[in-house]
Amino acid sequence: MIAYIANLGVLLGIAVILASSLNLMVGYAGIFSVAHAVFYGVGAYAAAKIALGVTDSFLLATAVAMFVSGAVSFLLAVPVLRVREEYFVVASIGFQVVASTIFTSWHAVTGGMGGLAGIPPARVLGWQLTSPVEYLILTAVCMVLVLAFIAVLVKSPFGRALKAFRDDEVAATALGKDPLALRVAATTISGALAAVAGSIYAFHVSFVNPESFTLDYSVMILAMVIIGGAGSLAGPIVGAVFITAFPALLNFIEMPSRYVGPVEQLIYGASIVLLMVFWPNGLASIWRLLRPRRPVQAAGGGTER
Amino acid sequence: MAALDIHGLRKAFGGNVIIPDVTLALEPGLITSLVGPNGAGKTTLFNLITGFLRPDAGSVHYKGSDLVGLSPQRVTRLGIARSFQDLRLFNEMTVFENVLVAQESSFRLWTRAAACRHTDAVLERVGLADKRDTRAMDLSYAERKFLNLARIMALDIDLFLLDEPASGLDGPSRTTFHTLLQSLKDEGHTVLLIEHNLDIVREVSDRIAFLNKGEVMAFDTPERIFANERLTDLYFGTAGRPAEAASC
Repeated sequence: MIAYIANLGVLLGIAVILASSLNLMVGYAGIFSVAHAVFYGVGAYAAAKIALGVTDSFLLATAVAMFVSGAVSFLLAVPVLRVREEYFVVASIGFQVVASTIFTSWHAVTGGMGGLAGIPPARVLGWQLTSPVEYLILTAVCMVLVLAFIAVLVKSPFGRALKAFRDDEVAATALGKDPLALRVAATTISGALAAVAGSIYAFHVSFVNPESFTLDYSVMILAMVIIGGAGSLAGPIVGAVFITAFPALLNFIEMPSRYVGPVEQLIYGASIVLLMVFWPNGLASIWRLLRPRRPVQAAGGGTER
Repeated sequence: MAALDIHGLRKAFGGNVIIPDVTLALEPGLITSLVGPNGAGKTTLFNLITGFLRPDAGSVHYKGSDLVGLSPQRVTRLGIARSFQDLRLFNEMTVFENVLVAQESSFRLWTRAAACRHTDAVLERVGLADKRDTRAMDLSYAERKFLNLARIMALDIDLFLLDEPASGLDGPSRTTFHTLLQSLKDEGHTVLLIEHNLDIVREVSDRIAFLNKGEVMAFDTPERIFANERLTDLYFGTAGRPAEAASC
């Protein structure tokens, strides 16, 4: 039972890292990406490669994974962010499909559908991790570090510039901010942080294959951000908990096991649609409803454009 | 040397020529008002100068370099900033953040104390110090207008392009605005102002450029422009414009 809870905790921590890092793009930079599982996957494969071929040091493997994943997201971002926002969503789906194909087909590196197996247990500063509880501790520490970094980032001049773009792109440009540079930076950082989750996953499960990094999972991470509430620190955490804990809760309902999957999907889909319509700020914004808010002043001005 | 030298600027949208040919040289350290009926091309001219639109022909020289083809952010970094008539504030951010974000470098992890002090000084200057932590969307109309000004005043700027900064302001706010504009001038800044209210134009301008159908019809001191009956006719509607277009 403890192992079950610890494993669930690790998956939850991974989900929180993924959702929070994606939130940098979606919630702060205003880039809707359906390719976050790619960066998670690149991180997992890179960490697995290091662990299998070089060293079982978690810190080193994670550093390499972050670098590789950050580089991949940078290479994606530079050409693709020049297109308009709506098209980026489509481009990111295309990127996800291409990446999934590469994960499956590039046998020499990824091991194809069979994946990479036999990843040794992680070693952190001389401490060999073996039990699920130890992995839970490692995950929690990584999650706190990632969240703290994101919290610093969004309150920094960099985060403020992103928020300025989110509020009014034209005005931010007129103040001398470079939209492309900011968005590329946000995407690169987001990709590098997702690799932390990938590295934890690779060591924890000791096996990676393409099935963990599919379009379905990218959609799921985006759902976490949107359901929880994009653009706040708490939002993705709430969303990740909601979506990760949900299947565990469904276990308590008497239902033939073949219905569990479809019912889950139905509930996710319906909750995204309903939230978008009735509660666009997400679950984490409940407290905001209690705060009175003045209506937005209508801007005056002439008719000339 | 002129603070800004616009020569032979032309812009058409499809077959619709908005600016056929504008030539205008701004004298440094003066406040020049750009007046003219609605649709005269005033805001379009701002967009052409600041890189939001690319002219079909002509040049805009500033400190020896041609601005044509530069991105808006490059133009701003060279020392020209504009305000928008529809304000475009960062509504979800506080008054303080609106001004702070304008002046700080984006690629930093820590906020510099000097930037905060500078921001507070600018807010003090425009009279928004007590609204420091209010969200922009919760400000009154006049306060929003002053925040719009404060944001570009925080930049290191020589040339201000202000698009109807005083429209809709009441008496006391207008006085504050006038004082602010005068202080910008005293510091040696050059200002190009789009303004419909001719009382304000008369009060603050050193020069007036009269724009009609995308051409500079006159460029002179306020006294001479206001003495020119043909121009006042054009402006006040005998040329087919509704009279209310002149007042705000």
